[in-house]
Formats: sequence, C-alpha cells, structure tokens
Amino acid sequence: MSRYILSRLVLAVVMALLATLVIFLLANTVPGDPVLAQLGDLAASNKEFVAEWRAKWGLDLPLWQRYVIFLQQLLHGDLGISISSQRPVLQDIRDFAPATLELASIAFLLSLVVGIPLGIMAAMRRDSWIDHLARLISLIGVSSPTFWLAFIMLALFYGGLQIAPGPGRIDAIALPPTSVTGLYLIDSALGGDWDTFRDAAAHLVLPSIVLAAATLGLITRTTRASMLESMQQDYVRVARAKGIRERRIVIGHILPNALIPVVTLGGLAYANLLTGAVLTETIFSWPGLGRYTFRSAVTLDFPAIMGITLIVAVVYLFINLLIDISYALLDPRVVR
Amino acid sequence: MAGKLGWIDRRRLVQLLGAGGGAIAAGLPSRVFAQTRKNTLVLGIDISDTITLDPARLAQYTSPMTVSAAYDSLVTMKPGEYINLAPSLATKWARTPDGKGWRFTLREGVKFSTGNVMTAEDVKWSFDRVINLGDQPSQYIAHVDRVEIVDKSTIDIILKQPAEPLLTIIAAPEFVVLERKVAEANGASAAKDAKTADKAAQWINSNSCGTGAYRIAAWERNQQIQLVRNDHYWGGKPPYERIVIRHISDGAAQLLAVRRGDIDAAFNLIPEQIAALKSEPSVRLAPLASLDFVYMALTQEPEFNKALAVKEARQAIGYAIDYDGIVKSMLGGAALRPAHFLPIGVSGSTEEIARQIAFKQDLAKAKELLATAGFKDGFEFEIAYGNAAVQGVTYQDLGLKIQSDVARVGIKVNLRPVDQVNLRTEYTTGKSKGGVLTFWNPPAVENQLWAAAVVQRVAKRVHWNPPEDIVKLVSQAATEPDPKKQAELWVEWQKRVVDQANHFILFQPVYQIAVRNTIKEFPLTAAGWMLDLHGVTPTG
Repeated sequence: MSRYILSRLVLAVVMALLATLVIFLLANTVPGDPVLAQLGDLAASNKEFVAEWRAKWGLDLPLWQRYVIFLQQLLHGDLGISISSQRPVLQDIRDFAPATLELASIAFLLSLVVGIPLGIMAAMRRDSWIDHLARLISLIGVSSPTFWLAFIMLALFYGGLQIAPGPGRIDAIALPPTSVTGLYLIDSALGGDWDTFRDAAAHLVLPSIVLAAATLGLITRTTRASMLESMQQDYVRVARAKGIRERRIVIGHILPNALIPVVTLGGLAYANLLTGAVLTETIFSWPGLGRYTFRSAVTLDFPAIMGITLIVAVVYLFINLLIDISYALLDPRVVR
Repeated sequence: MAGKLGWIDRRRLVQLLGAGGGAIAAGLPSRVFAQTRKNTLVLGIDISDTITLDPARLAQYTSPMTVSAAYDSLVTMKPGEYINLAPSLATKWARTPDGKGWRFTLREGVKFSTGNVMTAEDVKWSFDRVINLGDQPSQYIAHVDRVEIVDKSTIDIILKQPAEPLLTIIAAPEFVVLERKVAEANGASAAKDAKTADKAAQWINSNSCGTGAYRIAAWERNQQIQLVRNDHYWGGKPPYERIVIRHISDGAAQLLAVRRGDIDAAFNLIPEQIAALKSEPSVRLAPLASLDFVYMALTQEPEFNKALAVKEARQAIGYAIDYDGIVKSMLGGAALRPAHFLPIGVSGSTEEIARQIAFKQDLAKAKELLATAGFKDGFEFEIAYGNAAVQGVTYQDLGLKIQSDVARVGIKVNLRPVDQVNLRTEYTTGKSKGGVLTFWNPPAVENQLWAAAVVQRVAKRVHWNPPEDIVKLVSQAATEPDPKKQAELWVEWQKRVVDQANHFILFQPVYQIAVRNTIKEFPLTAAGWMLDLHGVTPTG
C-alpha cells in the first residue's frame, strides 16, 4: 500500500512540473507584450524605461533561462514576484486563497449533503415525485449559467426580499475578524466573535448555493444512476435471497459500491470548485483566487500565472491521489 | 505578518471609532453599528485595478481617489476648473527670480496625521523620492532638475527646460507631500539609490503619512480600503469618522446595494442600470465629467491600406460617422465630444470650439471627398477593437455603428475583435492595419502631455510624420504665458490635427454616479482623482 502511494506521489510531482512547463510555453506564445499590459502610455513609450522594466522582471532573458530561474526559485519555496500586484506571488495566494477555500468548501459540503441523499432517494423511489423533484433540481443546477443564477439570487434575496446580505465576505462597515487562518468562520469562532461569525455565515449563503448548484446536480444524477446499477447486481439479489433486511442491503451492499463513481466525481468537483469560481466571485465581489487568476491571465503576469498553475496542478493531483487511495481502501483489487 | 499589518489595526480602528475595548471582544453591538453607519461613508466601486497606494508609484485609475484623500499636493484643481489652479499646501506661487523654475510659499501650520508640523524639508524629500524611485510618475516630472529649500516656508522647483509646464502636472496625487520621518522609519528612501533602497511599499499600502483629511487605516485587496478621520487636518474637521471604499465589481450588485443603502454611492453603473434609478426617490445621479477619450485611430501606411494613405479618404470617414447618434442614442447624451485630443474644459477646448472645428456627419461632403481621393466607389478597411466597454457601451457596438455609418457612402468595414493586450501591442508598435477603437485616460491635466504625444508617439502608431510647424505649434502653445493667446494657439493646433484625420474622437465620457440622498456635497472631479473625498458631507 505505502509503495503504491509513494509511486503515485512521485508521478504527481512530475505531472505538476510538466503542467508548469506547458503553461509557461503557452503563456509565452501570446503575441501581446506584458509591458503594454502593465505600463501607462508615457512610460511604455520610453525605451530606456521599458528596457529597465524588462530587466527588472527578467523578461529580457531567453525563454529557457526564465524557466530555469522559475525552477530554482521553486526549490527555495519561492514563486517570484507578481508583476501586477508587485508582491510575492505566494503572499498574494495566501491572501486570496482562504476566501476561495471557505466558499468552495461550504459549496462542496452543501452539494454532498443535499446531493447524495437526494440521489439515493431518487433511485430507491424511482419515478416517484421525489425522483422527479431531484431531476428538476439537477436540471436547473446543471443548466443555468452561473452569472445568471448569481444575479437572480442577489436580485431576489438581497434586492427584493431583503433577507440576504449583499456582495462581499462581511458587511461593508463591519471589520474582518483577527486573522489566523483567513477563513472568516473559523477566525471569528476562535475569537468568540459571534456577531462577525453570523455576518460571515450569512454572506456565504447565496454564493455557496450558486457555486454548489452545478455540482449538486451532477452528484445527484451520478448517485442515482450508480445506485440503480448496483441495485441490479447479483450480490444484491443473493443478499435479498438470504433474507437480509432491505435497510442493511442498501447501507451494507449497494451504497459502498454505488459510491465509487461519486467519490471520483466529488473529488474532481471539489478541485473544480476551488479553482473555477471566477464568475461567482465576480458577481459577489468575493476576494478569492478566481478573480486573481483572471486578472493575472489578462495582464500577462507571468509569475502569477505560473504560481497559480502550480497550485491548481497540485490541488488536482492531490485530490486525484486521495481518490486513488480511497479506491484502494474501498476496493482492495486496485492495489494488487 | 498579516496580523501586524492587517487586523491589529482593527483594534486601533475600533478605538478610534470611540467604541470601547469591550466592543472588540463582543463584536460591534447593533446600537454601535447603527451609530457607526451614520458616521461612515461607504462607496461602492470596482477597485480591482488598485495595486499600490504609494503616491510615487501610482499608475492606476481608481487609486488616486484614495491617495488624494490621505495626502495633499502643493497646488490643486477645484472641480470644474481645470485651467486655473487653486492653493493647497502652497498658498502662493510665482516664477523664481531667475526665471528657471517656480517658487512656492508653503501654508503655515499644516500638520501631518501624526500631529507633527509639515516643513519645507518634507516637501523636498517627497519630490526627491518620486524622482529617485524612477517609477512611472517620475516620467511626468522628467523636466524637473531639482528641488531647493529657500527658507523654512519657501521652496523652489528648478526646471531643466524652464518654459515647460509644471503646475498642472504637480497638482496630480502622484506629487504629494509625505512626512519624511514616518516614511523613513517605515523603510522609505529618497536617496539616489531609492530604486533599490526604498522598502516602504508594503507599509505605505496599508498606512499613510500625509496631511490629507483622512488617513489610510487598512487595505484588504479586492475587498475594501479603510480610511479614518485625520484630526489634525488643516482644512477643518472632516465630517466622517470613517470612509470605506468597498470593492463591488459588478454594476448590478452596486445598483442593489445603493438602493438598499448598504453603500452611499455607486460608481460603475451602465446606462440601463442608471435608467432603473430614475424613479428611485432616495438616490440621485451625479455627473462625473471626465477628461478621458474614446476614439478611433486610423493608420496611413500605404502598405497596409492604399485608400487610408490618402488624406481625403480618411476625411471621408470622418464626415461619414454619426457622432450625435453615438452620444445621444448609445450613451443617452451622457458624453461630450471634443475636436481632438484636448478634452472639453481645458485651455482651447470648449463645446463651442468643438462644434466649429470637429468633424460632423455630412454624407454629401464625404462622397465628394471620396471622389477627390480617387475612391468614388468606396473602399474597404478593418477596425480592430478589444473586448471591453466604456460607460456600458462596448467597443463592438461602436464598431458596428461606424460600420453601418460609413456603409452609407460605400465604405466597407471589416470588424476584428482582439484581446486588449494584443490590441495595444499591435497599435503601439504601429502594426494596426486599419482603424483601432480604444481609450485614453490622461494622468494629469496638462494640454502639452496630450498634444506632444499626438505629434510624437501617437503619430508613429498611425505612420504619420508630422510637419515641423505642427510640432512647433505644440511647444509654442505650451510655453505661451498669456492665457488668451495660449487658448488661440491650442485651437489652431486642433484645426491642423483634425484636418490630418488620423484620429476621430468619438466621445468624452460623462460618467453617472448614483449618490444616496444621505449625502449632501459630493464634489466629483475630472482632474484625475474622481472625487474630492475631503469635501463629501452628509445631509443634516
């Protein structure tokens, strides 16, 4: 088992580095000039100023040398300085990641807690009203565009009914909790600051529903389909023939097998939530990684692009690793 | 690190607000909350472009508003008056006796937010820092040779080219006065090696050391900038205890927030959202006249397009565009249109002058010019544009409008969408093969900055080699001491460049800001920092 994990880890590191190389080459094939993405008109037309600026950011070096420098810095745990924020990329990521982590985790939990039971019930009571309801919820979740859903939710619950708070992580005139983890729920709870906790929790409701919508739909549908398939397996028929109670059959026999594809999907969906929340973050003015990534890409901020690529690759690979390990635990045949 | 720079400030902030230590532990109780709300000004605006609050490194669109609230310059511009300067930290100014620079008399008894008195030393140090840091703002005062202290309340700014304009440039928030002692204690340097020696960026991004009405207390990136009242402000007690510049990136969300009263003003609304506010009794619309340009540049390189190389053919395009339609129908009238790159409101540029000398739609004339140019049956050219919008009007819509306008005289336009950075790369390196739709936001209110650019770098981009007399006209106008003659020279210059037909100004935006009626004074300005925050007052 440990050998299996080790070999997967080594592969993961190689894959992460390969991902940075691909992105590095891709980002550098864009014909746009980062000078023109970053400098004002007068400065960008001053040859000396531009030359000095290029040298400062290492943009005057040959491509391969820039990649080598990136790797060298990486060995020292340094992702370089972001051109557009002029701060260490690592510091930027540390500032923006907690907001995304908090939102994505709540959204993920929401989609699991609602999606799996809904999928199970839909499969157990196939073609009943609950199955239809589950189908409707998944359909809406998967098919409504994020920006539309986000805006409708805001307009309805914040603007119209006035029962939800507006954009942002906390109220405009409230002060953020003393930073420990950067996760407002945890930080405010640690400080015993329950007013801020309530404020932060309330601000999480709408964006996490919006973000969870698509994932929820997928998880519900997959759970249902997988349950239906497992229910028709021979071992279920045998269990029934042996007179085992229906409840035990579902929990002990059907569910563990049915959940394998859900684990795969869930893991990838979580990685996706962590890295792909640009639209939700924009409409809810959520100060997370999605916006940072978007801005880095459009301003050709190479160090930031590389840093984020690495983080995203690591997140995906780590989650994939967890999925693989959980396979091994769920199904011993995988290791052999 | 984050604790020290970020949230420990929270403790100080709450103390400043007058709430006791108990309130920190318990969070702000709702009674304090309501009181706080009344004493706090909350602005909703997209501040994602803010990357620094260091005056000497400033180069963005929204950050000058914050900087101008925390710091003051020697001279300033009052909203609506962009020709004559107003006193700020300097009460008087005149040419130095030898005529090589400008002499400023400093205001007596101005204090920094620490309570220390501002000195001539602080002023010199602040200018030295801009120059020696060598960041973008230094480019605008490249003609400054040195700053000299004459006595404790007088300084001289000596110029390399004494006739070049200075006052209008140093009114910008890049050229403000910092408290040397505090800045240096936090890593700032104004020495020759400031480029590497200055380590103040981080401190100065979440604090300030100026004389302005408010003091920067915290900046949480992509969330909000917090300012607190400067009790030592020389201009009287500022009305708000706190200002929160809240980042709300989406216009629709700003609209909801200003309606509910969660924010006091919304800055990024598009025309449909503004229309939705017309029936809202608690919110009014305030016009923010800008000095920005939305324009089309046309190359005249014959290798790219034979027709565009002929001046009359370009002029025909100028006469075919329906400018009134753009301003009236597409922008709901919320825009001006200058004749060329001198915005309405500066020397030599008024609406009346623009009406006389700018292109206006005249299809018969356009056809006549096409015949003269030898393209009786029209010609074809491309218009490239980025995926962006100004005042809610996308470049794509502008492109479509021009396409249909010029089609009426037989000119065919091929539209080509490009991403912004590539567009700018193509355009500034002179590789644009036809027209380019783009934007210009000048960093300081000085005619020469625009006019010189038009005959230098901007001319190169469209492959125009300006004749000597037009180039001369720029420096002649810029250095003319008599304001009336100066305005005439600028008019003359505009006539010449309009005739050249390489640039068509489509409009000068007048942004509409939604302001709640809980706000009385809301002095918006086109001078570069959008809003005189020190002048914002509550009703009642």
